[in-house]
Amino acid sequence: MPEEKQDKSIDQATQELIEKAEKEGINTAFDRADSLKPCPIGAAGSCCKHCGMGPCRVPLPKGKEETPEEKQKRRGVCGATAETIAARNFIRMVAGGASAHSDHGRGVAELFLAVARGKAPGYEIKDEQKLLQVALDWGIEIGDRSNNEIAVDIGEKALAEFGKQEGELITLRKAPLKRQELWKQQGVAPRGIDREIVEIMHRTHIGVDQDYVNLLKQGVRASIADGWGGSMIATELQDILFGTPAPILGKANLGVLKEKEVNIIIHGHEPLLSEMIVAAASEPEMLELAKSKGAEGINLSGMCCTANEILMRHGVPIAGNFLQQELAIVTGAVDAMVVDVQCIMQSIQTVAECYHTKIITTAAKAKIPGATHIEFDEHDAIKSAREIVKTAIENFPNRKGNILIPSQQCDQIAGFSHETINYLLGGMFRASYRPLNDNIINGRIRGVAGVVGCNNARVKHNEAHITMVKELIKNDVLVITTGCNAIACAEAGLLVPEAAAKYAGAGLAEVCETVGIPPVLHMGSCVDNSRILIAATAMVKDGGLGDDISDLPVAGAAPEWMSEKAISIGQYFVASGVYTVFGVTWPTEGSKEVTEFLFKDMEKLYGGKWDFQPDPVRAAQLMIAHIDSKRKALGIDQARERVLYDMEMRRELEG
Amino acid sequence: MAYKTVKKEAPGRGEVDILAETYEAGEPIGEEVGRWRHKLQSRDDKLKYLMSGERYWYSDDWFGSEKRKNPA
Repeated sequence: MPEEKQDKSIDQATQELIEKAEKEGINTAFDRADSLKPCPIGAAGSCCKHCGMGPCRVPLPKGKEETPEEKQKRRGVCGATAETIAARNFIRMVAGGASAHSDHGRGVAELFLAVARGKAPGYEIKDEQKLLQVALDWGIEIGDRSNNEIAVDIGEKALAEFGKQEGELITLRKAPLKRQELWKQQGVAPRGIDREIVEIMHRTHIGVDQDYVNLLKQGVRASIADGWGGSMIATELQDILFGTPAPILGKANLGVLKEKEVNIIIHGHEPLLSEMIVAAASEPEMLELAKSKGAEGINLSGMCCTANEILMRHGVPIAGNFLQQELAIVTGAVDAMVVDVQCIMQSIQTVAECYHTKIITTAAKAKIPGATHIEFDEHDAIKSAREIVKTAIENFPNRKGNILIPSQQCDQIAGFSHETINYLLGGMFRASYRPLNDNIINGRIRGVAGVVGCNNARVKHNEAHITMVKELIKNDVLVITTGCNAIACAEAGLLVPEAAAKYAGAGLAEVCETVGIPPVLHMGSCVDNSRILIAATAMVKDGGLGDDISDLPVAGAAPEWMSEKAISIGQYFVASGVYTVFGVTWPTEGSKEVTEFLFKDMEKLYGGKWDFQPDPVRAAQLMIAHIDSKRKALGIDQARERVLYDMEMRRELEG
Repeated sequence: MAYKTVKKEAPGRGEVDILAETYEAGEPIGEEVGRWRHKLQSRDDKLKYLMSGERYWYSDDWFGSEKRKNPA
């Protein structure tokens, strides 16, 4: 393997396909990242293009301290300072991310309501218990009412949260009481999901909010509307419709593709159509059709967060994460790649044109020129799903023969929803987070880290993810993961219980072996970061680790982030009280004041703060140091000898 | 049930038989293997489970950071 390919990814399957792409003259994101350098002014958040007088570029001077006079002049045509510009850019990223997650949530809520009203044949309420749970959360009457009657109320209430104008989001009630109080005091409890996003767009328009502290405050509010609002609604309603995830065995990496079967990759983020594709692909008529075209069967696999959704509920294998999407097509064995929304590279169509692969877009809001469009109709979803599967099958004979499917694939156990973790730790009789808290208090587990986020073509594929996670578990930090980090961990063999003995510190390994869990727990897709918030809340409520999420020995990270969604996720982690470290690049470096506010002052307001460290080992060490500081504050930093009290000692104690 | 044993070195006793793993060998294949929620059949059972298992949100019968036995 040429050294250059190894510089692009730590994953051998990825390296093999980068080499194949190069031989066949296929241009991929890895090539474009080499030839297209990022704009250093834009990357630092120092470019404003919000009006026709710009774009205005206000970079920090290189290699010297700025004088007060120079700083005074560093403004846009409208007079906006570098601070205002950096803060505007930052919270517009939050708005972009929050709108993506929340629009996903709205789509789920619309389908949910249609199902409840009997207008979406093929779907049903699969998890009555979660339905009852959400009804209790939202104050909806249960009594003797049917599931569908309860679901109509839930669906209407969920949809209303998006357009609500005043009050607070109903989902905030899940947060620790102290956190809810803090959000009220700081004036950042979101009123409605859409409202907070729209207000960011208004405030960042030319000539509106020009106080960077005030701008960042609205960023916090919109991010809470994402994590504790839109994303949480998406997760809760998906669980009711498709089932709350439970442990399931699956496989990951490009080796899951099968040469002799029709390969359909489902790529994107929403599980609404993919659930139906899973059903359609197993219909006997479809299997017959596949055989009539010379295939031995139909092989479904996933990519990005849709992959995580169908893995968590059906065990459908994962073909890869964000930077592997073009390479999957380069195998020459993908008959159709079905896409919906988010993280879909436009270039998949260009790559597909060099092979036989059909790119099938399915969302009215996300089309690609040249792709086949089969729109998802929620009122007849199985029809859309059958048409997609049929299109893929009919494309099977068009393969061009230049097929290379790498052999790499790894086992993984996914499906660690909050409900399942709670059940696994206590059983049906007394499900509980007590064993987790006890093992944190006694020091076997040092703390918990949520490591999430994307791939970024500016850094070696999966390297920062895996290096960071290995460093954390080696130091007895239990890792919970979602999104592309989860897929990277699966490909590196970290999502199986055996990984504990191989990679985890002695204390964490002992706990993992006892419970029978991996040292890295896959909690789902990027909207499922809301599951991490609920898990953290359960840790707080169970007791012994403080009164709020900001007291817990926990940290968050996105070592290979690239999307606006990651910034929104990071901001709601911080707003929830979590120390959060990002890698690759930092989007406010053009303003020392804004960066200082995010990295230091935010902690005084919310108990959590941002940090930036591109070196994954150093970033992990920062997280561990933070975890240790929280352990010290809780008084659990030193192991204490356990003393078994006899009656005499107890009497003495009581006296 | 016939238990499986493995031979291990014991200090001063040479090689001894000890109990080996008692779990079922093999991989947990299939969608149903890890599913646990079907154990609760009736609506009453499900609500009772929420009151106990998810007591942090749905019951008063628990103690923790927000409901202390001995308030700080």
